[in-house]
Amino acid sequence: MNAVTALIGRDLKTVLRQGSSAGTAVGFFLAVVLLLPLGLGPDQALLARIAPGSLWVALLMSVLLAAEGIFQSDYEDGSLELLTMGETPFEIVALAKALVHWLTTGLPLAVLAPLLGFLLNLPPDQVLPLTASMIIGSLGISLLAVLGAAITVGLRRGGPMLSLIILPLYVPMLVFGVSASSPATAIGGETAASLAILGALSLAALVMVPIAASAALKAHLQ
Amino acid sequence: MQKLANPKLFLRLADMVRPWVLGATIVLLVLGLYLAIVQAPQDYQQGETVRIMFVHVPAAWMALFVYSFMALAHGAGLVFRHPIAHIAAKAAAPIGACFTFLALATGSLWGKPMWGTWWVWDARLTSMFVLFLLYLGYLAVWSAFGEDNRAARIASVVALVGFINVPIVKFSVDWWNSLHQPASVLRAGGPSIDSSLLTPLFIMALAYAGLFVTLWLLAMKAEVLTRRIHQMQVAQAGEA
Amino acid sequence: MDFSAPHVGFVIAAYVISALVLIGLAARIGLVLKARQRELKLLEERKSPRRRAPR
Repeated sequence: MNAVTALIGRDLKTVLRQGSSAGTAVGFFLAVVLLLPLGLGPDQALLARIAPGSLWVALLMSVLLAAEGIFQSDYEDGSLELLTMGETPFEIVALAKALVHWLTTGLPLAVLAPLLGFLLNLPPDQVLPLTASMIIGSLGISLLAVLGAAITVGLRRGGPMLSLIILPLYVPMLVFGVSASSPATAIGGETAASLAILGALSLAALVMVPIAASAALKAHLQ
Repeated sequence: MQKLANPKLFLRLADMVRPWVLGATIVLLVLGLYLAIVQAPQDYQQGETVRIMFVHVPAAWMALFVYSFMALAHGAGLVFRHPIAHIAAKAAAPIGACFTFLALATGSLWGKPMWGTWWVWDARLTSMFVLFLLYLGYLAVWSAFGEDNRAARIASVVALVGFINVPIVKFSVDWWNSLHQPASVLRAGGPSIDSSLLTPLFIMALAYAGLFVTLWLLAMKAEVLTRRIHQMQVAQAGEA
Repeated sequence: MDFSAPHVGFVIAAYVISALVLIGLAARIGLVLKARQRELKLLEERKSPRRRAPR
């Protein structure tokens, strides 16, 4: 456990010093959220209807588009390879990296998104459900972004391939995330069930991604 | 099974088996097409368009079957450490992707006259589209990394993670109000389709399966030969 | 099949596109296989050059 916290602490310090994909992600997110109402016109009722879904899509896209560089610097300066030779199982390393990504990118965006909902005329009573669903979903979103980065690390134009591979995995999160955030359009009429399933998806990712990402990274480092 | 890991042995077996599979496939195809186009009656509600079912459903079934085969092959490759298992998945992927494309295309052609729309984001269609994306992503991995062991391991990760996603997507979108009809063959109470339509469907499904095996065996041969060529090129470069 | 029924065009289109894609796929695999077999033959000849046919 100490190794994990040490890793997380070290990564957090690096991120806070150097900046990370978080800046890029926030940038993309702001762009989408500002452009959407401009493009869709002033129909406030329309914006209110599509606000939860649009915010979710903006969240997914911005994390995805910023995911390319997650392992880049560690891969290039060799510290990733060093970590494979260390005592800590590499799966734990991958888990630590994913948690750092969540703390610095996924979670902040998930909290930011509903706050910016007013730009899309998000009804105030939906802010809380949206925040809840985004926070729970953001764990899975971060984990899957890290998996995509692990699969495509070192590739010259890995971005499009990362998106292609991870997008299908995001679909269930999107479906249940939007369903959990908007009582009007919830599947089966109940947001609670969708929220539970969203949580289950995030937890499943928590178990699966460290193993898969570790395998992918080790394949790259050979 | 372990003996099949030897490429030479696999090729010899494949060459022996292939003509028979091809023959069976042709027979099944001819029979199936005859039943589908000539013999099968018009549907009470759908008229002639029900015949699209005989190319749509087999394609969809194969799309799912081939992906499962790929995941299984990669799993076997990781557990038993036989490179040929990973190659087996690589060879199957383009075929599965074609089946998926056909499922989507013929489904669209069936949907327009039946429901009035080319496409809708409901349960089945979204799942199929996601499956198509999974195939494309998988193929992208092999082309990005070339043919060495690294590509095989990354492809394994993509295939296995994608395989977990398939039931998740089906499950998640099944809750939507579905425009696509619910299961009418693999159900608890047995098929709900009349046997005059069921028989051509099964024959065509078997024909498509035979087609997959035939094409897969050919693709495997090409892959094994490719590897042999590389080995020889490396050896000859070494001698030069 | 009743070729004058409504929507028959969709049925024909579905069968035609299925045939085209599957034949195209088979052709592609076949061509690749032929190319590999040719390459392999070339490499094997280079390794052990054929002697002249015995008189």
